[in-house]
Amino acid sequence: MATTATERPTTLRLAGRGLMWVWLLLGLFPLFFMVVTSLKPEGAARTRPVQWFFMPTLENYANVLSGGAGTSVGFDRLLFNSAAVTLGSTILTVAVALPAAYALSQPTFRARKRLSSWILSTYMFPPIVAVIPVFILAGQVGLIDTYPVLIVPYAAFNLPIAVWILRSTIQQIPYELQEAAMMDGASRFTVMRQIIWPLVVPAVATASILSAVLSWNEFLFSLSLTRAAAKTSPVGIQEFTGMFGTQWGSLTAGGTLIVAPILVLTLILRRRIVSGLTFGAVK
Amino acid sequence: MTSLPGGRETAPGEGGRRTRDHARRSNTASPRRRGFGQGLPWLLMVPALVVLLLMTIFPAAYLLWASLHGGTLLGGNGQFVGLQNYVDVLTSVDRLKGFALILVFVVVAVSIQTALGLALAVPLSAQTRSSNIATTIALVPFAVTPVVSALVFRELFNPNYGWVGYFMGLVGLPDDIAWLSSTPLAWVLLIGIDVWQWTPFVALILMAGLKSVPQEPVEAAAIDGASGWQIFRYVKLPMILPFMAIAVVLRTIQAFKTFDSFKVLTNGGPGTSTEIINLEIYRVALQSFRIGAASAIAIVFLILLLTLVPLLLRAVGRGTDEEGV
Repeated sequence: MATTATERPTTLRLAGRGLMWVWLLLGLFPLFFMVVTSLKPEGAARTRPVQWFFMPTLENYANVLSGGAGTSVGFDRLLFNSAAVTLGSTILTVAVALPAAYALSQPTFRARKRLSSWILSTYMFPPIVAVIPVFILAGQVGLIDTYPVLIVPYAAFNLPIAVWILRSTIQQIPYELQEAAMMDGASRFTVMRQIIWPLVVPAVATASILSAVLSWNEFLFSLSLTRAAAKTSPVGIQEFTGMFGTQWGSLTAGGTLIVAPILVLTLILRRRIVSGLTFGAVK
Repeated sequence: MTSLPGGRETAPGEGGRRTRDHARRSNTASPRRRGFGQGLPWLLMVPALVVLLLMTIFPAAYLLWASLHGGTLLGGNGQFVGLQNYVDVLTSVDRLKGFALILVFVVVAVSIQTALGLALAVPLSAQTRSSNIATTIALVPFAVTPVVSALVFRELFNPNYGWVGYFMGLVGLPDDIAWLSSTPLAWVLLIGIDVWQWTPFVALILMAGLKSVPQEPVEAAAIDGASGWQIFRYVKLPMILPFMAIAVVLRTIQAFKTFDSFKVLTNGGPGTSTEIINLEIYRVALQSFRIGAASAIAIVFLILLLTLVPLLLRAVGRGTDEEGV
């Protein structure tokens, strides 16, 4: 965009830009604290005055990853559980959302608008309300502390976003293209595979990454429905803080390990994350 | 809820037109395909509907049933108690306080985020060399796992070792404030963490809005001698109201679900001064195992949400329609 007369720097504009940078840098401060503290040797972390000069060490990470840092379930195991649940729920989300999104984008499907709205409205349903029945049901069928009891609810939470992202992408594929192919004798399956699928791949990536991030971060269901075998890292990391003070080294190393992968995914997705989380309403 | 604010089913751009075109064309489709076209889509919808029903309608139905019984986890389903659980919810000071606290939290947090987000979106949307970097940095807090950010904030504000106290001490302020032991300060932290985490989201939505404002009216106003502030207030702001509506509605829905930061940071304390209803439902259901009582609170909460959010949608929908045209 060319610089127009209105884009000339004025005092107000410069002040706005200055404040923006102050806010942005302050926003990084908690992460700065976390990463710096995670690299400090024991004894240099929890001090006042703050020690700025120290020999960086990876001992906290080694400690945490070898499972010897004081959580009831080793942190390596917690991360593995998180990854398994995240992978499972992401695959389930996409597998269920893709056919639904295809159906909802077919102009001949009469219920498409009502169903789309209803799916969107389930986003309002608060997890704290859903957790009670799921807890009871899972207890009766012996699913407490297993992966599926997390995977299915996470998929349900992610579905509205995934369906809407995929639906709005498929809707942008001209329907004439599908019709023409079917006139020429292509089956519906061929249309899905040869026309829809290649064009929808980027949206599948967006939906997958978003549902992966949301599943990886989830806390309430994991807190309520797991004990040890399926416990995920956001629940487990709390154990580094206790009555007798917090192990800053382990806590911050664990926190960095939890945040790093999703931070990378978010930054990869940065152009599409807002569009995705607003159900495609904001491009 | 029928659609996102603005009364549109698709983007505030041109998405709606395509849907209408589709609909018109469908009338000319051959009867054979139209018949085919109802069965297959429903079949493709089945998995999604099963998952969603399992996590919305089933829970709601179960809670409704359980709320009429005096059930506890160990004592079985309990006797039919009629509306007694609801009477208990609506006459309990603690419960009503829990509802009031979440409402106040949502209103205050979302208001601050919207105001700050707007202030942030203006410089972010300026096409400068650094705006790409700024956008990336803005995203970072938003990418942090909520539990981790709550734990990090708790340690940062630790009265003995926290970095915040250390820096406050450096500039001559008290360096040993016990933030989480004071009701107002605990609230400052809880709202602060939400603002820190979610303002970028609002800012990025509004940034997209500001970037979508066409150049012509802006230039016309500039030629007519409007100041930068006037252009923002009277040209750009009305045009981004639909975006603001989307941000406010989404943030309101998300804020009502807040749980992690309260659980980790204060767990309802000091006393019960930050015990929002979300925490209370958790406590009654999953720590006291009074399923009947918890179900009644949950149903009231659900009704509250199902009443408030559509009202909000209608309000912002109307607001943007009037101002936006």
